Amino acid sequence: MDLMFPGGGEMARRMRAYPWSDTSMGEPETWPTSLRTACRICLTSRFPMIVWWGEELRFLYNDAYLPLLGSKHPALAKPGDEVWTEIWHTIGPMLRSVMSSGEATWSEDLLLPMNRHGYWEETYWTYSYSPLHDDDGTVRGVFTAVSDTTERVIGERRLAVLQDLGAQAGRARSVAEACQLVGEVLERAGRDVPFSAIYLRRPGSDDLVLTTTSPRGAALTPLADGPGGWPAEQVLRTEQPMVLTDVVERFGHLPVGGWQTPPAQAMLLPLAGETGGQTVGVIMLAASAGRALDEAYESFLGLVARQSAALVNAAVAYELQQRRAEELAELDRAKTAFFSNISHEFRTPLTLIMGPVQELRGELAGAGPQVRENLEVVHRNGLRLGKLVNTLLDFSRIEAGRMQARYEPADLDSVTAELASVFRSAIEKAGLAFHVDCPPLAEPVYIDRSMWEKVVLNLLSNALKFTFEGSIRVALRAEEGHAVVTVADTGIGVPEHELPRLFERFHRIESARSRSNEGSGIGLALVRELVGLHGGSITADSAEGEGTTLTIRVPFGHEHLPADSLVPAGAADGVSATADPFVEEALRWLPGDDDPRGAAPAAATASGAVHPHAAPDAALPRLLIADDNADMRDYLTRLLRPAYQVSVVTDGRSALDAVRADAPDLLISDVMMPRLDGLQLVAALRADRRTADIPVLLLSARAGQESSIEGLEAGADDYLVKPFSSAELLARVRANVELARMRTHHARWRTAMIDSLQEAFFVTDETGAVIEINAAFTDMLGYGPEGLPYTPMHPWWPSEADDPQAHRMVAEAFARLVSEGRGSCVVPVTHREGHQIWVTATFNDVTDPGTRKRRVVGTLRDVTAEHYLVQRETALAALSMRMSEAGTLSEALSEALECLREVWRARQILAALWSGAEEPELASTDPGVRWNDVPEDVRERLTALRECPPLRPIANEAGGAGITLEHPGGLLVLWIDLGQNRPFTTEDQTLLALLTGHLGQALHRAHQLDQQREAAVALQRAILGPSRLPTGFAVRYEPATRPLEVGGDWYDIVPLSGDRVGIVVGDCVGRGLEAAAVMGQLRSACRALLLQEAGPAQVLTALDRFAALVPGAKCTTVFCGVLNTTTGHLVYSSAGHPPGIMVHADGTSRLLDRGRSTPLAVKPDPARPDAEFTMPARSTLLLYTDGLVERRRRPLTAGIEEAGAAVQDGRATPIDDLATQVMNRMTPDNGYSDDVALLLYRQPAPLEVDFPAESSQLAPVRTALRDWLSRCELNPSVIQNVLVAVGEACANAIEHGHRDAAGRGVHLRAVATAADLRLTVSDSGGWKTPQPEASTHRGRGIALMRALMQQVTIESGAAGTTVHMHARITR
Amino acid sequence: MTTSLTLASSRRPDGTPVLVVSGEIDMSNAGEFDTAIARAADGDAPLLVDLSAVEYLDSAGLSVLFAHAPGIELVANSLLAPVLSISGLADVTTVHGL
Repeated sequence: MDLMFPGGGEMARRMRAYPWSDTSMGEPETWPTSLRTACRICLTSRFPMIVWWGEELRFLYNDAYLPLLGSKHPALAKPGDEVWTEIWHTIGPMLRSVMSSGEATWSEDLLLPMNRHGYWEETYWTYSYSPLHDDDGTVRGVFTAVSDTTERVIGERRLAVLQDLGAQAGRARSVAEACQLVGEVLERAGRDVPFSAIYLRRPGSDDLVLTTTSPRGAALTPLADGPGGWPAEQVLRTEQPMVLTDVVERFGHLPVGGWQTPPAQAMLLPLAGETGGQTVGVIMLAASAGRALDEAYESFLGLVARQSAALVNAAVAYELQQRRAEELAELDRAKTAFFSNISHEFRTPLTLIMGPVQELRGELAGAGPQVRENLEVVHRNGLRLGKLVNTLLDFSRIEAGRMQARYEPADLDSVTAELASVFRSAIEKAGLAFHVDCPPLAEPVYIDRSMWEKVVLNLLSNALKFTFEGSIRVALRAEEGHAVVTVADTGIGVPEHELPRLFERFHRIESARSRSNEGSGIGLALVRELVGLHGGSITADSAEGEGTTLTIRVPFGHEHLPADSLVPAGAADGVSATADPFVEEALRWLPGDDDPRGAAPAAATASGAVHPHAAPDAALPRLLIADDNADMRDYLTRLLRPAYQVSVVTDGRSALDAVRADAPDLLISDVMMPRLDGLQLVAALRADRRTADIPVLLLSARAGQESSIEGLEAGADDYLVKPFSSAELLARVRANVELARMRTHHARWRTAMIDSLQEAFFVTDETGAVIEINAAFTDMLGYGPEGLPYTPMHPWWPSEADDPQAHRMVAEAFARLVSEGRGSCVVPVTHREGHQIWVTATFNDVTDPGTRKRRVVGTLRDVTAEHYLVQRETALAALSMRMSEAGTLSEALSEALECLREVWRARQILAALWSGAEEPELASTDPGVRWNDVPEDVRERLTALRECPPLRPIANEAGGAGITLEHPGGLLVLWIDLGQNRPFTTEDQTLLALLTGHLGQALHRAHQLDQQREAAVALQRAILGPSRLPTGFAVRYEPATRPLEVGGDWYDIVPLSGDRVGIVVGDCVGRGLEAAAVMGQLRSACRALLLQEAGPAQVLTALDRFAALVPGAKCTTVFCGVLNTTTGHLVYSSAGHPPGIMVHADGTSRLLDRGRSTPLAVKPDPARPDAEFTMPARSTLLLYTDGLVERRRRPLTAGIEEAGAAVQDGRATPIDDLATQVMNRMTPDNGYSDDVALLLYRQPAPLEVDFPAESSQLAPVRTALRDWLSRCELNPSVIQNVLVAVGEACANAIEHGHRDAAGRGVHLRAVATAADLRLTVSDSGGWKTPQPEASTHRGRGIALMRALMQQVTIESGAAGTTVHMHARITR
Repeated sequence: MTTSLTLASSRRPDGTPVLVVSGEIDMSNAGEFDTAIARAADGDAPLLVDLSAVEYLDSAGLSVLFAHAPGIELVANSLLAPVLSISGLADVTTVHGL
C-alpha cells in the first residue's frame, strides 16, 4: 500500500486507510496501471491535483488541493457531482467530453475566493483535464492538474489599468477634467482600486480640495468615533507615500469594488509636480480586500499615482498654454487697434499736407519749372501715401469688423464702365488696347460705392502694371443669379505655383517683369476682403506669359447683406477722389514722362520755340558762364538769355563750386582766369565722378591748333577761339546742349530709376570697390553716398573677430563677385548701427560704355525676416524630427542638445539638471563631461541662471547664451557656448526660446513614455515570475525598445518531482497586450502539462492542440525541456525554436539542435521527437528567444555564435551576473527591437544546506558536499581540500552556535563555475578570534583553511559570521 | 548521528602497539579518538596509529595527534598528506606510507 499511495501526507494516509472495495473502484491491486501511476503522481506532487475515475468520476485528490476544497474535505472517492455540485454545470460537461473524446481540455483562470492566509483572497486557478486510459486503452478517468494563475491574472489586469490611464494622455483640457478622467479609469478598475479620491492643492496654498472620487460621488465621511479622515496634509507636506491599515476604523464600509469585503488598507500618495518641485496634490487609493497590500500591489498603486500625476500635470501645462494663446490673441487685437489708430493719425497730417499742396499747385502754376516739379513730387507722393494709409485702414477695419459698408442698388454696368474710363488714358499711353464691354444688366446690384471703386481700380492698376503689350479687357455679364465682372489682361501672367497665394496678404509675387517694384502686396488681398463683404467671390485664372483673368461674382439682390447696411440709391455722382492716386501712380510707371500731368502745358509753350523736338515739359537749358571779364560775361549773357537760363561766375574756383552745387546743362568757360584756369577747371570736373559728364565749351583768346588740342585733351567738349561770331557761338552752344541733353536725359533717367528701386543698388569697379549706390542702399545698410567709394573690405562686412562664420560667408560671396562677376547669394551684413541683417545679393558684370572698364552692378534685398523665419522653421522641424526618434528621456535630451549645437554651430551645449541635489546632473554635446570639468565661471553662470524664469533667454557678452526650462526631473539650465565671441542676437534669442519651449514639451512626452515603459516592464516581469527561482538558474526579460512594447516571449521554470525541473522558453507571434495574454495562456497550459509528468515532446504535442484553439497562439515557438539537476540529464524538444547553446567547462560549445519540429499548431499532429543530452559538470546552458540574436542584415547563425561567445567568455562568472553580461553584450545600438526572454542554467546547481549548529551534523553535511563535489567532476585531492576547509568553517560555526545559542542554524552554500568554486558558511554567532594558547586547534583550523583555499575572507558582525572561500579548479 | 569511526587496537608481532583507524575524524568523535590513543599506548614503544583507511581528518583530529605527538608514529594515505604536512604534524612525528 505504501507503494500505491506513497508519502506521509494526510491524503496518502486517508487513501491507504480507505475501504476501496466498498466502492465501484475496487481494490487498488486491481486498478489499471494508469490509475496507479496517476495516484502516485498526485500524492507526490506539491501542486494541487485531482484524479476523477470511472463513470461516476470519483474524486481523488492530494494534500495540495485541500485549501481549494475547503470545507468540502473530506470527499475522497465521492462521485464528482456530489463534491462540486454548485459548479457541476460547468465542469461536468468538460469532464464528460474528455471521457468521450479522449482529448484534453482546460478551464482557464477560474476565480476562487480562498481563505489561505487569514483573509478572503482573490485567487485564480487554471485546471487542465486530460484523459486516463485503462490497460486496454479505454478512457476511464480524468487527470486534473491545477495551477495557481493568480499573479498572472492580477498582473495583466493591473497592466490594463495602467494602459487605460496612459491612453488618457492628451485628452484633458483642464485639471478638473484630468481628475475626472483618472476617476473614470479607476472606476472601471474597481477590482484593483475599489475606491479612490484625489485631493488637489489650492494654488498658492497648502490647502487640499477633494476633486474627484471613484466611484463617483461616493460618500467619504470619517466615522464620528474613529481616528479621523485621511492624513492627506501630512503626505502633502512630507511628499512621502503612506500606507493606512485602519481604513475600516476611519470610514467604516467603503465601496468594495466587486469584492465581498470592504477595503481595509489604502495608500496615500503624493502627486508629484512637473519640475519635481511643488507637489500638486494627494491621491488616496484603497486596496482591494481580496489582495494583500504587498510590495507588488504598492508598486502598482505607485504607478497609478504617477500616471495620474502625469495626467494632471499635462492638464496644468495645457491650461497654461491656453492662457498664453489667449494672451497672444489679446496682443493681436491690440495690434489691430494700434494699426487702425496709427492709420488715423497719419491721415490728419496727410490731409493738412495735401490741402495746401493742392492750393499751391494752383497758385504757383506760373512759377519756375523747378518749383512746379518739386510740388508735383510732393503731390504725387502724398497721394501715394494717402492711398497706402487708406488701404491699411480698410484692412484694420475689416479685421476689427468695423467696416461700415453702405450698400446701395446700382447699375453695375455704368459704375464699372465709368471707373474703367478713368484708366483709359493711362492704358492707352502705355500702348495697350483697352476694351470695356459692360452691357446693361437686367437688375441692380447692391454695392458700396467706395469699396467697389477700390476693387475695380486695384484690378486695373494691377493689370496695367504687369502688361507690356496687347490689351486689357473689362467685361460684365449676368450669370446664374450673379453679376460677373472680369478683368483680363495679356500680361506676364502668374506662375502656377503662385496662384494659390495670389490673394494672400503681404505676399508679393516675385515676377520677372513689372512696370514698378512698388507695392505692398495687399492690393489683391484687400480686393478679396471687399468682394467678400459684398457676399461675392474672386477667382484668378492665369497662364504664364499669356495673361491673367480675375473674375468677380457678386450676387444680385440684397438677401445676403445685413439689412441695416442698406441705403436707398443715391445720386451717381461720378468717380470719387479715390481714383486719383491709382491713376497718378500708374502714370508714373510709364516711361518718358517725368511729369505726367500738372505743369505739362506751361512747359510746352515756354520751350516749344527753341526746342521743337524736346519733350513739351522741358525747362530752358541752364548755362553757366565763367569769365573774369565782365563785358564778356554781359555779352554772352545777352546773347544767350532769350533761349537759356544763364548764370555767371567770375573764376574757375567759383565755377567749380557752382557746378558741384547745381550742375548746369552746359558750362562755358574762359581759359584764362584767376584762381583756377579753364584747363584746370575741366580737369577738376572730369576727375569728379559727379561732374565728369558736364559738357564744357572752352573759350580762348589763344589761337592755333595746339591750344585747341590742349583744351580738348584736358577734356573739354568743344573749343571756340576768340573773337567769335555770335552765330557761331549760338550754333556751338545749341549743339552741345542738344548733345548733353540727350546724354543727361539718359543719365537722369538712370539715376531716377536707380533711386526709385526699392532694392538696394550698387556698382563696383573691377577691384570690387563700391563706387555708386542708391537711396535704398543707404536705407538698408546705413552707408550713404558721401562715403563713396567704399573699398574692400567694405565697412558692412561682419567683423572677423566677432563672427568669423558670417565674415567668411561675405568674403566668399565677394570673391565670387570679383572673379566671376555674376551670381546670387544670401549673406549676413552689418548695418552701420551694428545690427545684423541678411540680404540676397544679386550681381552681374557689365562694361561701362564710356570708359570700357569692367563694372559689376548688383542689388541687395533685405531678407532678414525671411531668413529668420526659414531658420526657425528648419530648426523646429529638425528638433521635432530628432525628438520623435528618441526613445527615452535622456536620449531625447542628448538629441536636442545636438540639434541646438547644429543650429548655432556652437562649440558646445551644456545642460545642467537640478533635481534637488547640491550638484546638478550634467549633459553635454561633448561626451563624458562632468560638472567638475566645467570651468568655474561657466558653472557660476549656470547656477545663477536658475533664478531666471523659464523660457527667457539670457545672452552673455562672453559669447554664449543660457535659458532655463522645466524638465520632468527638475529645473534644466541650457548653456550655448558659441565660442569666439559671436554675438547672440535678438533673433537668436527668439529662436532659442521657441526651440526650448518645444524641447520642454517633447521632454515631458518622453518622460511619460519612460514611465509607461517602466510600468509595462514591471508588470510583464511580475506576470513571468517565478519570484523565487530554483538555485542554479538565472532568467531575464527585456521588452522591445521601440516602439516600447511588451510581447509574447516567456520563460518558465517548473519544479517537478525529485530533482527534476521543467524548463521552457517560448515566443508567441505578435506584440502588445494581446500577445502577452496569449503567452500567459500557453505558459499556464505548458506548466500544467509538465506537472502531469509528461515528457517535453508530449507536452508540445498537447500544446499543439491547445494552441489550435487559442486565437493568436499559432506559430508560437517553444523550447521545452525536463532537466535532472542531480545528473544533468536533459530531455528536450523544440517546436521551431532557436537551438539552446551549451558551453562546456573547457570553453567548447555545442547547440541543442536535435528534437526539432514545427512551431505550435501549424501542422496537424506533427511528430514531435524528444532528444536527450547530459550536461557535463560545470557546463552552462543558454535558452533564449530570437530577439536576443536576430539582427537585420545578418544571418541568425552569426547572432547565435555571438551569444555562444558571450557565454564562453563568462563561463567563470556567477550565473546571475552572466545573465546581465549576456543581455548587455547582445544589446544592439538602438536597444532590442523585439522582446527577449533568456534562461541560463549551470550544472550542477549550487548546493544549499541548512543545518543546526550541532557537531553530529558534520558527517551528513560532509556527505552532501562530497556528493555535490563529485558531480562537479573535480579531482580527489581538490575534493579533499574543500571538504577539510569547509569542515573547519562548519566546525567553527557550530562552536559559535553552542556558545551563543545552542541549535541555531548554519548555512552552507557552494557554487561552481567553469573555473572555480565559491563556498560560503554563515552562522548567527560572533567569530571567535583564534587565540593560539587557548585553542591551538582552532588556530590550526584557520591555518588549514587558508592553506587549502585560494582565498578566505571572514566577515564577522552582530548578525553573525560568514566565511567566504574561493578555490580555483585546476585540471 | 555521530561520524562513523572504527578503532581497533592490536600489537604487531614485534610487540609494537598499533591502533587501526577507519572512517572520518572530526570534532564529533575527536574525544573518542583521543581516548582510544591513550588506551592503546603502553608508554614504552611508540604507538603506531594506522590512518590509511581514514577518509577525513580535520583540525580536531590533528589536535589529538599533536597532543600525543612524541609518543606516536603514523601510517597515512595520500588523501591525508596535505593536511599532515600543512599542519606541521609530519615534522614532529614519523609518517609512514606516503
